[in-house]
Order: sequence, then C-alpha cells, then structure tokens
Amino acid sequence: MKKSIRTGMVASVAVAGLMLSSCGFGGGDSGGEEEGSTSLDLLVPSYSDGSRALWEGVIEEFEAANEDISINLQVESWENLESVLNTQIQAGEAPDIYNGGAFSAFATEGLLYTAEEIASPETIADFQESFAANEQVDGTQYALPLLASARALFYNEDLFEEAGVDGPPTTWDELYDAAAAITETGTPGYGMPLGSEEAQGEALIWMAGNGGGFGDESEITVNTPENLEAAEFMKRMIDDGLTQADPGATQRTPMINVFIQGQIGMVYGLPQTVGQIEAENPELNYGLANIPTASGEPATLGVADRLMSFKNDGDKAEAVTAFMDFFFAPENYVEWVSTEGFLPTTISGAEEMSGDETLAPFLEMLPSAVFYPTSNPAWNATDGAFKSLFGQLGQGMEPAEVLEQIQAEADEAAE
Amino acid sequence: MATIAPGPATLPPAQARRKRYGSDQVSGRRMGLRMAIGAVVALVFLLPYVIMLVGSLKTRSEILAVPPAYFPTEGLQWSNYVTMWDTPETPLPYNLVSTIIIAVFATLLVLLVATPAAYYTARFRFPGKTVFLFLVIVTQMLQPAVLTAGLFREMLVLGINDTWLAMILINAAFNLSFALWIMHSFFAAIPKEIDEAAQLDGAGKLTVMFRVNLPLVWPGIVTAVIFTFVSSWNEFAASLVIMSTAENQPLSVALTKFIGQYATSWQYVFGVSIVAIIPVIILFALIEKRLIGGLTAGAVK
Amino acid sequence: MSAQPVLANPAASPGRKRRRQNSDGLPAALPWIGPVLLLIFAIVIFPAGFMIYNSTREISQSGIDQGSAGFANFADVFTDPNLPRVLLNTVVWVVVVVSLTVLISLALAQFLNKPFPGRTLVRMAVVVPWAASVVMTTTVFYYGLDSNYGIMNAFLVDIGILDSPYGFTKNVIPALGLAIIVAVFVSIPFTAYTLLAGLQAVPEDALEAAKMDGAGRFRTYFSIVLPQLRGALAVAVLINIINVFNNLPILRIITGSIPGYQADTLMTYIFKVLQFDRRVDIASALSVLNFAIVIVIVAAYVKIVKPMKEL
Repeated sequence: MKKSIRTGMVASVAVAGLMLSSCGFGGGDSGGEEEGSTSLDLLVPSYSDGSRALWEGVIEEFEAANEDISINLQVESWENLESVLNTQIQAGEAPDIYNGGAFSAFATEGLLYTAEEIASPETIADFQESFAANEQVDGTQYALPLLASARALFYNEDLFEEAGVDGPPTTWDELYDAAAAITETGTPGYGMPLGSEEAQGEALIWMAGNGGGFGDESEITVNTPENLEAAEFMKRMIDDGLTQADPGATQRTPMINVFIQGQIGMVYGLPQTVGQIEAENPELNYGLANIPTASGEPATLGVADRLMSFKNDGDKAEAVTAFMDFFFAPENYVEWVSTEGFLPTTISGAEEMSGDETLAPFLEMLPSAVFYPTSNPAWNATDGAFKSLFGQLGQGMEPAEVLEQIQAEADEAAE
Repeated sequence: MATIAPGPATLPPAQARRKRYGSDQVSGRRMGLRMAIGAVVALVFLLPYVIMLVGSLKTRSEILAVPPAYFPTEGLQWSNYVTMWDTPETPLPYNLVSTIIIAVFATLLVLLVATPAAYYTARFRFPGKTVFLFLVIVTQMLQPAVLTAGLFREMLVLGINDTWLAMILINAAFNLSFALWIMHSFFAAIPKEIDEAAQLDGAGKLTVMFRVNLPLVWPGIVTAVIFTFVSSWNEFAASLVIMSTAENQPLSVALTKFIGQYATSWQYVFGVSIVAIIPVIILFALIEKRLIGGLTAGAVK
Repeated sequence: MSAQPVLANPAASPGRKRRRQNSDGLPAALPWIGPVLLLIFAIVIFPAGFMIYNSTREISQSGIDQGSAGFANFADVFTDPNLPRVLLNTVVWVVVVVSLTVLISLALAQFLNKPFPGRTLVRMAVVVPWAASVVMTTTVFYYGLDSNYGIMNAFLVDIGILDSPYGFTKNVIPALGLAIIVAVFVSIPFTAYTLLAGLQAVPEDALEAAKMDGAGRFRTYFSIVLPQLRGALAVAVLINIINVFNNLPILRIITGSIPGYQADTLMTYIFKVLQFDRRVDIASALSVLNFAIVIVIVAAYVKIVKPMKEL
C-alpha cells in the first residue's frame, strides 16, 4: 500500500460511498444471496493489534478459492464484542460465524448449528479430544475450538536473587515465603488481579491448585470446601501485604505490564506475555515455571476460545462448512494461531508447532489444565458474577461470603 | 426600532463593551493578577490534554514505564502522527472522513428542522404547543446507550443499517431538543414589534423569519451548532452497533480498536484523540466571537 | 442565554392579546414543526418504545424474547437489595456534580467576563474539555492517576503530597470523588459559557447605578447580576441535571474495576446488569425506571424554576 495514494483516495471513495448509501437507501450488509453467491458475516474480537490484518489475509485467500462466497469481517474490541453480538442476536441478525468464549446458552436456545453441520468429519476429527469435549452441550458438539492458552508462573529472577529466594516456588507455602521475601525488599511479591477484567481467571487458577473448580456442564459449584480454602489462602496473602496494593480492583493487563517493567516479583501470565516482554522490556531477567499449587501437583487454568455459527434464516451451513474446513487446514490455521501467540487445538496444528520454543512450556502444562465450565448454560452468569463480585475478597469481605454471593447468582441463572 | 434592517440594533451594546474594555480603570497590578489567574485557569483546563499530547509522542514502552517519565526520553515520536493513519487496527483516514460527514450533516439537518420550529413556537400559539415542546424535551432525557438495541433494529427495517445516513438521522434526532430549545428562547426574546412592522410591509412569515429574525439570533444558532456538532462528533453507543463496517465507523469507535486483549497502542489512542479535538476547536475559534459578541443583540429592549 | 425571556417579560402582558390573533390552529403550524415531529417519530419513538416493551418481556441471556413477563421485571428491580445504595449514589452524584459545576462556573464566567490581555486564549483553553470526548478525558485522568504508571500520581509523590502512589481509582470513596471531579471538569465549559453569555445581558447602567449608590461588590453581584443571570442559570442547571444523571462513561471508566455495587449509580448499574448479568429485560426495566425518574425531576424542576416562561 502506498500510503499517499491510499490516503488521497480515501476522501473520494468515502464521498462516493455516501452517495450510494444515502441515495440508494440500500446500504447495510443485507445484500447476499444474489446470483447463487452467499455472503457470511464474521464477528471476531481483537486479540492483538494484528488481528484484523490476520483475518483479512485468511479471508482474501478463502474468497480467491471460493468465488461464490464473500465474507464481511467485523472486528471489535473484547470490551465491546458481546454488546455488539447481543444487539445483533436480538434483532435476528446474528453473525454467521462468531469467535467468542461462552456458547452454551446460545446452544441450548437452539441458535447454533451443530459442529457436524458446519465442518466436515475430517476437520472435526482433527480437534484434540480434550478441547472438543468442552464444546459439547448434552452430548452434541456445537462449537469448534479455535485456540487455547494456559497460564504459567512468570517470575523476576533479579528480584528473586535480591530477596535470596532460590528457584521458583512449586507449592503455595513456597509461593507465600517467596512473596514475603520479595515484599521485604520493597517490591510487591505477588501480583493478584481481582478486578473485573478477569477475576474469574485468577480465581480458577488458585482453586484448580487445590483440586477445586467451577463445576461441569450440569452443575456450577463455586462454594465448595476446596475453593473456599483457596480463597482463604488468597485472602491471607492479601491481608499479609504480599500482593500489590488494592488487588480487588486491579485489572490483569495493566498489572502484567507492571511485572514487565520489573516492579512485581511474580505473576501468572500467558503465552502472549513472552512476546510482550520482548517488545516492551527485553532486558527483563525472568523465568517461567509451573503454577504453584497447594500440594505441588501441577494444575493450571486453561482457556479456550471457539468459533460457532448462528443459524439465521438463510441456509448458510454449506458456505460456513467451506470456510471452517479452509480455516482449520494446517497450512492456514497454524499461521493464524501462532501469529496470535496461542496454543493450537488441532492435532495437526500441534504437530507442526511442537518445535516452537516459546509455546513449549505452555503446551506441557495443557494436560493439567482445568477449564471453565463453558458448556454449562449458567456459566455466562457465573462468569459475570465473578467479574463483579470476586474482587471484594481484596476489600475485606470474608471468602465464604464472597463465594456464597457468586454461588447464589449462579444458582439463580441455572433455574 | 421597527426597522427591517436589524444591524444598528446590535451595535450599541457591542460598542459599549468595547468602550468599557478600554476605559476600565484597573491598576496594572490588578491586571497582572488577572493574567496570572487566567494562566492558572488555562493550565488547569489544558492539563489533561497536555498529558494526552505528551503521551502521543512517547513510544509504546515509554508510556508503560514504571515509574513513569514526565517527558519522552527517547525523543519526541512525531512519527506516531504519521504511522497512525496506516495502522492495521483500523482504516483511520476513512474513520475521520466518516466522522466529519456524519457530524456536519447531522448539524445541518438539526438547523434545518429546528430553526423553523423554534421560530414558530416562540411566535405563534397553536393547540398542542405545550405537548409538542414537552415531547421535544423528553428526547433529551433518553440515554442512547440503553436504546441501541431498538435503534439497530429500526435501521435494519429502514434498510440503512451501517450507513452514514443512519448515524446522521440518529444524531440529528437526539440533539434536536437542545437546539430547538435554545433557539426558541432567543426568538422569544426578540420584540414582536419588529415582526409586526415587517408583516405590515407585506412580508410573509418565512421572509420575516429569515430576513428579520435570523440575523438577531446568531448566538442561539452558534450555541446549537456547537452542541450538535460536538455531541455528534463524539457519539459512541449507537455508532458501535450500527456501523459494522470498519470504514464507516467514526473515530469514537475506531479508537477502541487500538485496545487489544493483551496490549493497547496508547500512543495511537492519544494521538487520534488529539487530532479529533482539533476540528472542534477550529469550529469554535471561527464562531466564538458571534457567540459572545452577538449575544447582546438578543437582549436589546 | 435565557436572560432574554426575563427581559422580554415586561412586554409580555400587553402583548398577550395581540398574540392570540397569531393562533392559526394546528394545520398552519404543521409545516413549521412537522419536520421535527417527523424526525422524532421516525427515529426516537421506536427505540424508546422498544425499551419499554422489553421491560415487560422475559428475555433470555442470548437476547431471545421468551414471552410476556408482566411486571415481574419491575418486581425484581424494586426488590433488588442493591437498589437503595445505587439510588443514594445517584442522588449524591447528581447533586454534588451539578452544584459544584454551577458554583465554579459562576465564578469562572465572572472572571472570563473581565477584560485582561490574553482573555481570548484563556477562553479557548476553557473550551477544550467540551470539544474533547468525555471518554478520552476520563481515560487520561484514569491513567494519570494509576498508582503504577500514572504521571499525576507520580507528580503528587514528587511534590510531597503523597508518600507513595495511591490507588485513587481502586477504592470506593476516592474513586467516586475522582469521578465527581472529572464530571465537574467536563461540565464546566458548557455551563460557564452559558453563564458568560447571560452576563452580556446584564445592563451596564444598572451596574453603574449600583456603584454610584456605593453598593459593595458582593451586594452588587447578589442584587443585580445574579437576578439577571437567573434565566441562563436555570437552563444550564437543567441541562446539567439531565446529562449528569445519564452519564455513563465517566463512572464506568473510573469505578469500573471496583468489585461490588458500592460505587454504582443507576446508569452504571444498568450497564453492569447488561454486561455481566446479561439480563436485557431487567436492564430495560431499570432503564424505564431511570427514564421515569428523570422525567419527574425535570417536570418538577420546570414547574418550580420555570426556566422558560414561554413554556
């Protein structure tokens, strides 16, 4: 793209666009079925600053190979993604393909195509079983796992050395001692983000580390003895001053940036954190390790996002299938998933990416990962309850009461 | 008094003001004090935008430095203002054009429909006038953020979803009330004798409005223009759901594209925000004199 | 700006009879007010009606209409244990923001009306927060006061006001306080300019006369300037009440990371119900409640203050 030419043309193109849309009164994305061609609306979140370009590349190649299908891409920030989606669903204009997290409520309400309808048997068979299992509601698979990520402990080796801690902690008690030693030196020992951005993530990492979890597809279990113990330990760390200030209202993204700037001893980070450190503070002397758990047995949080397809009135399953098969073919999928810095969900993708050094430690942790109960229809509400309520742990509320409140919201949603 | 040409009527107060400015016997010390206070006031109101400007001239890692540096240490990154037009996140030149077109046409539309209504309601009685004025005020009280679902559906039915026209209509409709309101109060303040004299001369209502009244209500028009323009310029909630094509989205929505799941290009967010302020300031600089200077005109007895 | 209606008032009583002649009935009015009605009916009525309709429906988490709910959503809203706190916050928020805005704007308008070199520049500076998007202004305050990379926080530490950076946006009371400051900050330009415009209408001779009588500065202000400003003030307060009541971005950004509902106003609570609980129906019922409250406040205000005699 020659910038000057492109910029210069913008005005005229844009004005012409106004003429067309206002005179013709026929704008919008409704045009689609003319002359046997199908148009698909694709709604995706922005994972990184390259997300849009990456999808555009995929679409361009796909459209070249399938001339009768065109794809309208819409990229929104994570913060706005769901409000855009909900408005579209309410108006009966749900996207044909949607990249998101929660899906079970859509499935139980009969809004989604089943996986069989939107992908060939070969594509479906290529997903790793543990991921495919998370895409099911009542034994039927609805969504296609798009990407996965796992959490690992990132620790600042310089701060460890200064505090006289040798080696990363593997148990909670060691984590506590390491955090205490680092805090002594004047830097917060452990970063605990319990703000609304991802309180449910931090919570599940700790609870999984005590053999707990959020339940399964039929029941949400937040208020359990294992989870309570974990929450109590978290509160102990907060009360003893071993975390950054105000953990209850700390958002994850900015907090990880503080770690990258060398101002926190330990945080739980993602595969993308590695790339961010390279970009923003390559001098940081850090290490990667398994998540410390109560007993020392490995356990971590796994997160998977997925692609799903809303049944609108027109029959677009065939076109969607063509797209999914194209996208999940290793030659297209591997580039997409590795550029975004995630772990692959397909067998063929995992084979191709097994040599990736950055991802290796995270791939290793995947088998011990605990996932959100995304296939439970009440998960959406539980997730929301964690985001708006769990941070109260950092503001002096008793762990039992916090978990009780969240459980109550989950139970209400399950009715 | 009852001349059709209102020009002279506007002069005396303006002259009086100028005279006062010149002959005000304030000591140099007091003048110095005022300037000092003025400087502090200006500083307070500009401070956040200075921070914004400085942020837009930092590199990404400088913005996230802990502890923060007041000024860029790696040189001023003016290049951010060049590169931001060609980022992968959003087609910014298109977004700017969209914003300008939507704000300009929404403002024009508001003037077009609100001025006659403001004039008529200020001058004439008709059954249902109170109901009409109340209906208009009610639109001001609705929060677009809670109406987006309905607006989206409506635009689909009208077949103009994802077009500039949709946002022009929405912005015009939701900002109408203030424009009508403020102009109404200005029209109402013009002595009716002026109209009546003109009517005796055989002028029709439209002529009276355009030739006699409009020149006297400039401040009201200016206020309405700034209001409508600023709020259309910054409208977000409805644009987010209605404008689904990246090229059609206004700057307010485009800004959010720089906020990724794991990282945000703050330098661009700040840079775009600075650029977005400039047109409004230019508009204001062009018409500010009319707002204050002309206002006395409406108050002539 | 509506110092004008006040001024026009003396002429109103003799003019009343004559004005009656001007009534040509509704058909004659339609060409003049028709376009406004058309725009309002075409664009505003449907979404407003849709919101009210949704408040009586049962809507699934995905946004699918499941049938009538009668008034069950409203029953839920009125029995919501969070509602009292949220309403209290809303009242505090509106009252504090509007009164601070008006008091500061009165002083500022008075000051900007005085001649001094560079006045135009100061006036331009005051306009900038009006021109900038509220979201971005708020974001700058939010990040400026972040305890880690906030420049303002670092400044407060450097000049010795704070010992160490403080999480202004992470605790209920300071966050609400900060949100109030930001809201006042962005509301001042409009208000000050409205009052400044109103000040232009204060008759010169009245001020001179007061000076002759030896009235002090404060007496002159309260007995001559302020009554003249009444109209402009009334409009400014009304617009501020509506806007502050309905403001979402400031609180959403500044108190958004705080768990629980201790720092929420009605608008941010609606937003959370929509975003986190995904209850379109409950959010619609809350919105209807919000709308009703604003209408009542505005109607009462218009009745008592009569900002526009013409109404």
